[in-house]
Amino acid sequence: MLPFERQVVTALARDVDEHQRPRVVAYVDAALRSMPEYLRAGVAAESIVLGTWPRLQRAVGRLDDDGLVTWLDRLEASRIDPVRQYVRLLSSLVLFAREELATEAAP
Amino acid sequence: MSRLGTNYLETEVLIIGSGAGGSVTAASLAAAGRDVTVLEEGPWIEADAMEPFSLEEMVAKYRHTGLAAALGSPGIVYAEGRCVGGSTEINSGLYHRLPASLTDEWRTDYEIDEFTPEILDRYAQRVEDSLTVSKVPGPPPPSSAVLERGAAKLGWRAVEFSRVFRYEPGGRAVKQTMSRTFLPRALDAGARLIPDCRVTRLVRRGDRITEVRCSRRDSSGAIEALTVRPEHVFVCGGSIQTPALLQQSGIRTHIGGGLKLHPTVKIAARFTESLDHRDVPMHRVTEFAPNLTIGGSASRRGHVALALADSGADYRDALDDWDRVAVYYAAIRSEGSGRVIALPGLAAPLVTYRLTDGDMSRLARGLVYLGEVLLAAGATELYPSVVRGAVVRSPDELVQWWDAVSRSRANVMSVHLTSTVRIGENRARAGADSFGRVWGLSNLRINDASLLPDAPGVNPQGAIMAIATRNCDQFLATT
Repeated sequence: MLPFERQVVTALARDVDEHQRPRVVAYVDAALRSMPEYLRAGVAAESIVLGTWPRLQRAVGRLDDDGLVTWLDRLEASRIDPVRQYVRLLSSLVLFAREELATEAAP
Repeated sequence: MSRLGTNYLETEVLIIGSGAGGSVTAASLAAAGRDVTVLEEGPWIEADAMEPFSLEEMVAKYRHTGLAAALGSPGIVYAEGRCVGGSTEINSGLYHRLPASLTDEWRTDYEIDEFTPEILDRYAQRVEDSLTVSKVPGPPPPSSAVLERGAAKLGWRAVEFSRVFRYEPGGRAVKQTMSRTFLPRALDAGARLIPDCRVTRLVRRGDRITEVRCSRRDSSGAIEALTVRPEHVFVCGGSIQTPALLQQSGIRTHIGGGLKLHPTVKIAARFTESLDHRDVPMHRVTEFAPNLTIGGSASRRGHVALALADSGADYRDALDDWDRVAVYYAAIRSEGSGRVIALPGLAAPLVTYRLTDGDMSRLARGLVYLGEVLLAAGATELYPSVVRGAVVRSPDELVQWWDAVSRSRANVMSVHLTSTVRIGENRARAGADSFGRVWGLSNLRINDASLLPDAPGVNPQGAIMAIATRNCDQFLATT
């Protein structure tokens, strides 16, 4: 997982129980690693391009996890398919893992 | 007899892949006394080791952990098994014979010998006799009864489909996957199974495959090369991996084109009563079959969350109430088609699929009809798998979905992939002869979903197993 992807996943999973959060991150990491190479290359390229602005903002202390999630929400409404799908991919992976782990943790 | 050296193996029959086609082939040929070796890329996983459709199962048994997609507009997410038993380990276990009308159509269009409804029914009967095909004893679970109830209110046909399940005396339902049925029979008859072994290339000399090159992961995790020298090869890797391997091996004529699948859209439906979530509904609305089928999907909490999130609407209240939410689908037979293209140096092939405007229209119709059934059954909220798709609470609101199912907004998925090496004597259209032998190669056969000339509109496992059994009989009679 690229550094920006890890930031996104960590931000999306910020409300997950702290004991479960590493498992969510590990699942997303494994899922990204096992994608077909050409799809993974596309996702990585988007991470590099889309990650530029948040990286700069973070460097000057203007973007925390909540701000990053708000920015991702805006991207999810983008009219550009690959941008919208990028956010949807990562948020879907986090959502699936979070809810499945919640089931596992339920009494 | 097989001989296994440090890194080479000789065998009479090599079967690549252990899903519905490969396992049937292994059991048939081993029972006939042939020396059989099965190579499976994925691992052996004990039958009850994981909960069906769970996160753990997706990581262990699904190829690409379920993250594969056919590129197109829209892209189509699809799932394949990658473990001993193949996709039979991860599917819902619904069982169908091939409809007679399709058998007749395919025989005519592709000039397939010995391919009549009577012949295929005979082979289907053999499969059913050796694989428990049954219906649920007693009343259906609530998530399935929903479809029956909704269809009855609309005056539409709905049926409970048979499944490859065996019911134990205590009521436990056990899916009859290949790792529980045909593979153990093959091993008992002397077949050898090598899991964690990926085939990278078939080596051709003249009109024969003389060597098969593989990389095998040993128990310590180390990768080693393995070369197999077979007399006969059956490739049974499924409709994506089979054409990819053939193309990587320089075999390309009518290989990989014509990919077919069942494009599917979904709805997360909220009811006032609790639903079951451990099983997949076995009822299907067949009023518009085979061109449009309405059914139910896996609905664990993770699946419910994903389906609720698809539309982008606020779903937190519904997710908190997830015990009353289940996921349903509408699947179509598609006019469009796709392609599998092996890319040099990459393990995964490029997969594309083009939906026609007619397909998009059918998906919209399917979504609306599915909504009608669910509302008739008592659903109070419907969340469609359409970006910015309106949450619907009454039948008069469904009209909004007709225009919403567009290429840029529909989230489309599929599980049934077929038709990348079609059979038939029509060499202008088929990649293999009537019994799966690849044109121009005397000892290379295909025996999996790739052979079906089109997507059948139903779960293809029954058709694959019947056709594979038929092809094995022909092989045994002629070889």
